[in-house]
Amino acid sequence: MTLEVKELTGGYGQVSVLKKETFTVESGQVVGLIGLNGAGKSTTIKHIIGLLTPRGGQILIDGISLHDDVEKYRKKIAYVPEMPILYPELTLREHIDLTIMAYGLDHDKTWESANQLLKTFRLDNKLDWFPQNFSKGMKQKVMIVCAFMTDASLFIIDEPFTGLDPLAVNDLLNIVENKKKAGCSVLMSTHVLATVQDHADKFVLINHGQVRADGTLDQLKAKFNMQQDSNLDDIYIKMSNEDL
Amino acid sequence: MGQLWSERLRRHQLNQFKYLRLIFNDNFMLAFIVLIGALGFWYSNLLGTIHQTLTFGKPIVIVILFLAVQVGGIATLLEEPDSTFLLVKEKEFYKYFRSAKNYSSFMPVVTVAMVNFLLSAFASRGAGLRIIDIVAIAVGLIVYKLGSLNINLLELYGRDKIGNFKMRLVSNILLLVSLIVATYLFSWTMLIVAVLYYFFLNARVKTLETSGQLQWKYAIETENQRMFRIKRFYNLFTDVPGVTSKIRRRKWLDWLYQPIKKNPKNTYLYLFARGFVRNNEYLGLFLRLTIIQAIMLALIDNFYISLIVEMLFIYLVGFQLKPYFKEVMQNLMQRLYPIRGKTKIADFTKLSTAILLIQWVISAIAILYKFGFGMNSLIIIIAGLAVLIFVNYFYMPRQLKKYLD
Repeated sequence: MTLEVKELTGGYGQVSVLKKETFTVESGQVVGLIGLNGAGKSTTIKHIIGLLTPRGGQILIDGISLHDDVEKYRKKIAYVPEMPILYPELTLREHIDLTIMAYGLDHDKTWESANQLLKTFRLDNKLDWFPQNFSKGMKQKVMIVCAFMTDASLFIIDEPFTGLDPLAVNDLLNIVENKKKAGCSVLMSTHVLATVQDHADKFVLINHGQVRADGTLDQLKAKFNMQQDSNLDDIYIKMSNEDL
Repeated sequence: MGQLWSERLRRHQLNQFKYLRLIFNDNFMLAFIVLIGALGFWYSNLLGTIHQTLTFGKPIVIVILFLAVQVGGIATLLEEPDSTFLLVKEKEFYKYFRSAKNYSSFMPVVTVAMVNFLLSAFASRGAGLRIIDIVAIAVGLIVYKLGSLNINLLELYGRDKIGNFKMRLVSNILLLVSLIVATYLFSWTMLIVAVLYYFFLNARVKTLETSGQLQWKYAIETENQRMFRIKRFYNLFTDVPGVTSKIRRRKWLDWLYQPIKKNPKNTYLYLFARGFVRNNEYLGLFLRLTIIQAIMLALIDNFYISLIVEMLFIYLVGFQLKPYFKEVMQNLMQRLYPIRGKTKIADFTKLSTAILLIQWVISAIAILYKFGFGMNSLIIIIAGLAVLIFVNYFYMPRQLKKYLD
């Protein structure tokens, strides 16, 4: 699976938030999307998953765009939004069934992996609960289960670490690691730099709707003329100070 | 404080006006006029059948008047942040509430007057009351209602008790007793009791100005609930932000979805069917309209009115299902599913067909009960089916398309 974002320009309404963004996510890569509040991370993600239409440029997954084949494109992606979005009228069990139906997945096989994920996140005894009975963190876990039980090849996670308990963060990272081993790619936006530094292969730094820099930690250090022992935090602060 | 009240009232009325304009659209007006007309027709028919005083005439009058007095309370227009930002101004809120009470008197008084007016025909024919009695009781009830609004104020200050009893309970018992005495024995009783009651409660409320302690939490919660009820009502006709309807599991209805096979084609039918059955708002709407329709059809023996009621109500239920589709379409996650919009609309049509068919069968039974097996029944029932087909296969698909993105 490869995701190619080429010269992406777009945003909400008349204002272009993103200006000619270009970056790629390769097979088996975990990529961190990093930037200040309002830099354009979520907007970028919304374009990739197809909730917003680009004003310019292209987004390709394995060479096809949303425009070429909507269903094929959408089946390749699993998305975990920043704020959990659930159906108030469906129980947890029904959310899983619905996702299986929507993506045309194998019922028994998917339930097997779903059960494993539910157990990991300690939701396996809450299958008959409604969303209104879940806390925010639990809802987030439901979103994670529904995304990671699919056979998507690109997983997009928006701010996964805020709101999850430390144990769940750890579990999520393990799941991401497993997906990576299976050849899937993961794109996640986050502010928790220390965590993403240890678990991502590559970083895309976004500032004012443009890709300021991308690459591995070492490549970034070189680009920003940083010392060998500096970390992602230092680079981030340096990038933010460039505006001053 | 006076200024705060008028500012709030202005904003509130602006808001109400906005929603009322949306509610009183052409569709609703049409339904409303027909409904009023049909009820009026039924009422005058009913009056025509009464030739002597009925034994249960007076009890009916008493119950209806008693219920009419219960309508309406005080709109305080308090807001959540008040308990933080205006806490220091607590003493001055008394004035604010006086203005609130004056404003809130209008609706209940009109309601009581209207009910009395409409009921007067029945009261004189069926219950054998003289016009002077009816007027005396009506005036008495209005004064009584004006007095009982003070109880709402006392409640805000947690001072709504007489001895160990809740004032509302005592007041309702007093009302019931006075009504019985007034209708059976001496009609002026109601007015005399009401005047005494009014002065008593007004004097009680005056003490709040100096020694009252406002129950913020109760006051704000009550107002929130009142607002919520209004908004939920508006929400039946138009979209009101911030109104989410209650969800019930209704496990005993699970068999309804059993025929829906779990395959990708049925994804949305799976979702819509469960949502409709568990969401109180849409299920409630369907049940209310279906029951009203069935009752009207079972009572009215005029062919043309029945024909209109049959067609209009099927159209209305179909029409009111639209917001449900919109609500589901607003869920971002479902927009990512690899499923085409056409399939979503087709699945929704399946649900609305099932719902309208149930309504159609129930209304058909009511029609057959009233008109028997004959040409008239057949025409009405077929007209209903025609509306059902029109709504589901011509009207809705076009309308639903605009909600897809």
